[in-house]
Amino acid sequence: MPVLALLETSVALYTIGGAGSLLLWRSDAAATLFAGVTSIVAAILGTAASAQVLIDGTGPSFAAAGPIPFASFLLRFDPLAALLVLVISLVTLAASLYSLSYLREYAGKGIGVMGLCFNLFVASMVMVAVADNGFYFLLFWELMTLTSYFLVIFDQDNKAVAAGFLYFFITQSFSMLLMTAFLLLFIHTGSLDFSSFRAANLPPWLGSVIFLLTFFGFGAKAGMVPLHIWLPRAHPAAPSHASALMSGVMVKLGIYGIIRFAIEILGASAVWWAWTVVAFGAVSAVLGVLYALGETDIKRLLAYSSVENVGIILMGVGVGMAGIATGSPVLAAIGLLAAFYHTLNHAVFKGLLFLGAGALTFATSTRDMARMGGLARRMSWTASFFLIGALSIAAIPPLAGFVSEWLTYQAFFATGMGPDFTSRLFGPLAAVMLGLTGALAVMCFVKAWGLMFGGAARSEAAASAAEVPVTMLVGMGGLAVLCMALGLGAPVVAPVLSRAVAALRKSGAVEVADGTVIFPGDVHQAVLSTPLVAVVMVCLVAVPVAIAAMHRGRRLAPRIVPEAWACGYDHDARMTVSASGFVEPPDVMFRGLYRLRAMQGPVGDTLDGSVIVSTEAAGIVEPLWNRMAMWVATRGVPFIGQQLQVMEGGNLRVYCLYILAALAVMLICVVG
Amino acid sequence: MTQTDIIALLAAAVILPFLAAPVSFVVPRFLASIVCAASSALSFAAIFAASVGYTMDGKQAFSRDLVSVHGIAIFGFTVDRISVLIGFAAGLVGLLVCLYSVGYMALGNREHPEVGKPRYFFFMQVFVSAMAGLVFSSTISGQLFFYEATGVCSWGLIAYYDSPKAIAAGTKALIVEHIGSLGLYFAAAMFFVSAGGFSLSALGGMGPGAKTAIILGILFAAWGKSAQFPLHIWLPDAMEAPTPVSAYLHAGSMVNIGVFMYARALLAAGNVPHVVGAIGAIAATFTLVYAFFLYLPQLDLKKLLVYSTITQLASIFLALSLSTFGSILAFDGGVAHIFNHAFAKSLFFLVAGCLSFTTGTRMMPKLHGLLAEMPLVAIGFGTAALAIAGVPPMNLFFSHFAMLAGGFQASRAYWPLLILVGISILEAVGTFGWFLIKFGDAVPGPASPAVAGATALPVTMAVAVAALVTLTLASGAFAAAWMG
Amino acid sequence: MQGAVLFGVGVFQAILLLLAAPLYSGISRVIRAKFHSRRGPGIWQDYRDLLKLLNRREVIPAAAGLAFRATPYVVVVAMLVVAMAIPAVMVRSPVAPMGDLITVIFMFAMARFFTALASIDCGSMFAGVAASRETTMGVLNEPIMILALFTVALMSGSTSLGNIAAAIHAGRMPAYAATLMAMLAFGFAVFVEMGKLPFDLVEAEQELQEGPLTEYSGRSLALMKWGVALKQLVALTLFIGVFIPFGAAVALSPVALGLGVLILLIKLLFAFIAIAFVENTMARNQFLDVSRITFMGAGAALLAFALSLARV
Repeated sequence: MPVLALLETSVALYTIGGAGSLLLWRSDAAATLFAGVTSIVAAILGTAASAQVLIDGTGPSFAAAGPIPFASFLLRFDPLAALLVLVISLVTLAASLYSLSYLREYAGKGIGVMGLCFNLFVASMVMVAVADNGFYFLLFWELMTLTSYFLVIFDQDNKAVAAGFLYFFITQSFSMLLMTAFLLLFIHTGSLDFSSFRAANLPPWLGSVIFLLTFFGFGAKAGMVPLHIWLPRAHPAAPSHASALMSGVMVKLGIYGIIRFAIEILGASAVWWAWTVVAFGAVSAVLGVLYALGETDIKRLLAYSSVENVGIILMGVGVGMAGIATGSPVLAAIGLLAAFYHTLNHAVFKGLLFLGAGALTFATSTRDMARMGGLARRMSWTASFFLIGALSIAAIPPLAGFVSEWLTYQAFFATGMGPDFTSRLFGPLAAVMLGLTGALAVMCFVKAWGLMFGGAARSEAAASAAEVPVTMLVGMGGLAVLCMALGLGAPVVAPVLSRAVAALRKSGAVEVADGTVIFPGDVHQAVLSTPLVAVVMVCLVAVPVAIAAMHRGRRLAPRIVPEAWACGYDHDARMTVSASGFVEPPDVMFRGLYRLRAMQGPVGDTLDGSVIVSTEAAGIVEPLWNRMAMWVATRGVPFIGQQLQVMEGGNLRVYCLYILAALAVMLICVVG
Repeated sequence: MTQTDIIALLAAAVILPFLAAPVSFVVPRFLASIVCAASSALSFAAIFAASVGYTMDGKQAFSRDLVSVHGIAIFGFTVDRISVLIGFAAGLVGLLVCLYSVGYMALGNREHPEVGKPRYFFFMQVFVSAMAGLVFSSTISGQLFFYEATGVCSWGLIAYYDSPKAIAAGTKALIVEHIGSLGLYFAAAMFFVSAGGFSLSALGGMGPGAKTAIILGILFAAWGKSAQFPLHIWLPDAMEAPTPVSAYLHAGSMVNIGVFMYARALLAAGNVPHVVGAIGAIAATFTLVYAFFLYLPQLDLKKLLVYSTITQLASIFLALSLSTFGSILAFDGGVAHIFNHAFAKSLFFLVAGCLSFTTGTRMMPKLHGLLAEMPLVAIGFGTAALAIAGVPPMNLFFSHFAMLAGGFQASRAYWPLLILVGISILEAVGTFGWFLIKFGDAVPGPASPAVAGATALPVTMAVAVAALVTLTLASGAFAAAWMG
Repeated sequence: MQGAVLFGVGVFQAILLLLAAPLYSGISRVIRAKFHSRRGPGIWQDYRDLLKLLNRREVIPAAAGLAFRATPYVVVVAMLVVAMAIPAVMVRSPVAPMGDLITVIFMFAMARFFTALASIDCGSMFAGVAASRETTMGVLNEPIMILALFTVALMSGSTSLGNIAAAIHAGRMPAYAATLMAMLAFGFAVFVEMGKLPFDLVEAEQELQEGPLTEYSGRSLALMKWGVALKQLVALTLFIGVFIPFGAAVALSPVALGLGVLILLIKLLFAFIAIAFVENTMARNQFLDVSRITFMGAGAALLAFALSLARV
């Protein structure tokens, strides 16, 4: 089936699924099933279509006039769009499978509407990825935000509504920057089509203005620091399968926008653009993981971790842009390859982690890590899948996250080998920031997994938790397998993504793989073989097993004691390490950076204060004009009237004088 | 369908409600509302048929003079894309509001429990007829006549409840609108002096000085009718009127008269001197910012909607004024915005009416959790609030985008205009935020006591609300395609 | 063919380091004892300890799960993988696709991840605190390692450890002062990674009732102890193999390899003795103050980087 037809069918199925879910609102089970099954099929079609385009290295376009006179309906399904559609489809597939039993938690709260919003959300994300005209891009962009807004406020409590407001307001206001950028290009080129944007010959100052507008407009959606404040509030409030999509996929559309505009449309011509992107990326990465470390709510932790990973992807994008601007094609290719790979990886493992968090909430009715514990025994499948996700996000070899971080490090290395001083300065410094981030991420996810799944149960709910239903496990399991496949299959995946990068840059693909080995363009620079690492690790397990087998006959079987050693005292559940205790050292060491977050308070207070002052001022001003006008009517007119009343003396002789005077004036006028 | 048929249909649309109006005094009380709804339905049907005929004809614009004195046309009809579009909107909103009034002006109304008096329906029908007449009018004298007629109707309808505040509000409205109409009188006089007649098409051939004077006169009258600063003071007080009146007059039709006449004048004039555009744009921006700040202290839903109407109309004035700098897109966007805004704002006012009917209050601090108790009203509220906020797929997004695009286009001629466009973008963001807060306060969550004790909604009101929700969702693309 | 031989060398290297680890930690113990005016248990004591532990039964807290039980194996495997990949016996990495500096650093991270995970999993408060400290040390240490290694890697044109070692061996580094400074910085980082005083007292973790090893016993403790000793040895070997490759085998002949092994063992001996001298002159630092000391290492690394930029 041709690729475009697959894509259209996919989008149509999402829409039908959503509409059907709404029509079936009376029956929760029917709505869940209909919406879930249609989106599963649609996601499979989407995966097939995008995989085809990525493998081919080129994709189709579509053009139609559409009802709007100043904007034609254009679609462009090139490899960059295909990467996004692949990411969307894979996570949607897992999330839809997951939702078949997860939505039981929302029984009676309007599942029909949720199905509508979820399906339309996915459909609009797909359309954003392939839209090739500014108006339709913005249309689907805002639809995406609207549908996810309804998902965020779904719980309808105060926190959710406040989170939804912050989310919608920030992303929408920054969409105005996008609209301004598109309209500036519109008046320069006379059309809203991206293809005419591409062909436009912009004066450098205008190019920089457009870059800044699109960078911040898309950066707000991507969750870049300092525009990230909506993320930790909005992502946890939504239902978990929607959070998986918002955190794993929707933020990628922000990055997609930055790549599409800065690199493809504007051509990444100025080097300072690249370093700006890298700088914001580095700050987001470090601050994101630092704030994640301080959280006890698992979903907020994952949300902040998304900020971190967006920072990592942006660093890769920035390095790619530096490569383009300084004319180093290999650097450009490796930087963008790292960014693309991490986009794909992060979507998969962040989706997995959010689905896992949802499973935990499903089983224990709480999101607080301090109230969980000991769940590895009661929910062993969830524990294993979550562990794979945690290992991936901490970039432990040979899983997915490691490969993309390795590529990012190689990109920084290549920058460090660059011709100009700024590259040589920033490359290694960026690597150090990434290293710091990685170590903090290790700490963060050790804490997360350890506190939730390890140790003893810390609450009644955790002690009685049960494993979640099969469809939820299948959804998570699929993503876990994908994590491993993206890691071990790096020699297969990297060339495909390299071709996508080449299509974006309209140049030849850089060689990145040979057999089971991947390398960043130059074999001499570095090589990595994840399959080899995996095989060696598995084989080497024989060594400690052999050691442990020694003297097996002579020793007794292991004995289980009820408690860990507590110096002779009775062991108490409160003696185990707490969430905040675990992170006390970095909390102390990085206190200054945590204080940055407290600065948000005064900013919010200033805004509230200015609203209050404006309200009072408006309340005073409102009747002002009214009273002035009324004053004229109630005082002015009678006043004039009273002055004129002087003329009415009452004296008949005066009135005769008036008549004579009028007669005289008239005669003069007639005669003269 | 020939052009004569179209003219005949339009004439019927104007005359029928006018003739049916006195009937309200004659029939039994309970039938008066039915008669009103029926006549407005027939009027709309005629306009609809005329629109279909016009479209089938290939959308060819034409004019026909109906009443002439000594060769000078006094009344006539112009059928072109903007008059058909706005006429359609005004007629449809009129029908829906009259239908809504059948349910609203009844004893079940918790805020104003009384059966509708005949003069309400009389004035409504006269208004329907005057509105149709004005939109299709091809002469300035015709516009003037119907302008004054609508002023009288609005006086009658605002003062309907007979309380001291209502009567004062009605009088204020009449006076302020009449001050505005001085501009129209002046323009008509200038017309006669410059062109020897009253046909609007003559505007194209006049010199720049005459054009400026006339269009500024029309602009002043437009400010009066569309409640722009400094002639805006009548509109907030006009909320003393019954809510259907607010929806019809102060959202769907009468306030659109001002922008429509301005648009018609600009279209007829062709090349407009930039000073007119500059004055219009600056005044519109000022009103925009002023009315936005006045959102903040409002606790009464209807008052908030009034200021929102003022800002939306100000943005239309801005777009129309900017179109004089060479952007057709701004003009088309502005007219489409009139069309879309009529539906969205009427919906919002009718929702406010539903709230006061069922709960007895319009105060926003008392209204929470609508979704739990009255889903249809909640959906109406949400659709209208998000439409005003400019979010797709609601209709106002499409025309607002066109207006902004047009504004940017106009700034190519004279880049400081970009500052005005920038201010309007900031205001749009502010409006979005404010209405999103209001939506979050009112719709989700547990029901407040006032909402929990709400009575049932009559069928006619529900139908009107549902119809407007559908229109708000659908009319955006339609308007854009029509104008293009 | 050559690939298979090199792979064999790598395996041999790993087994060698595995078997030698208890010997070197034994040597450390004896030196410390001498510093304390004791006789010490003898350099072969750690072998005896391991055999003794393998005879004992394990006692496992009920709360401990899969993470706790799997960690000893993971730690040993991770360190063996590193041992296979670093240029120790030869001036090249025996298994180049695993011998990238990033890969090696992340292998250490893997060991740290699982150790910390096991510490939380067993439910012991001592181990829990230890997990927090382990991971924080990683946060403070990894950037230093990365910067120091990146500096020399940039100068040699490759991130593969073998290529770096070869460049230093051949004297091809353009900036000597930078290389020296990087060596000092990386040495500092390795010192921290080995868990020597003033950062940690790994050897006494059971006696002082703190550390990830608290709840391990029997064969698991044997494996963990062996793993920790192996980690210390591997970290040091990494340092010596990359920065002091002089004497390692260049060619693939049995003579050169034998000589390389011998010289490696001697270099390690000297290094361990030097480290023992340094660590026994210090006391353990309060943990929250440790960051001040690590900033010194960070400063050294930054200085190395600056020098390399200046091509000095």
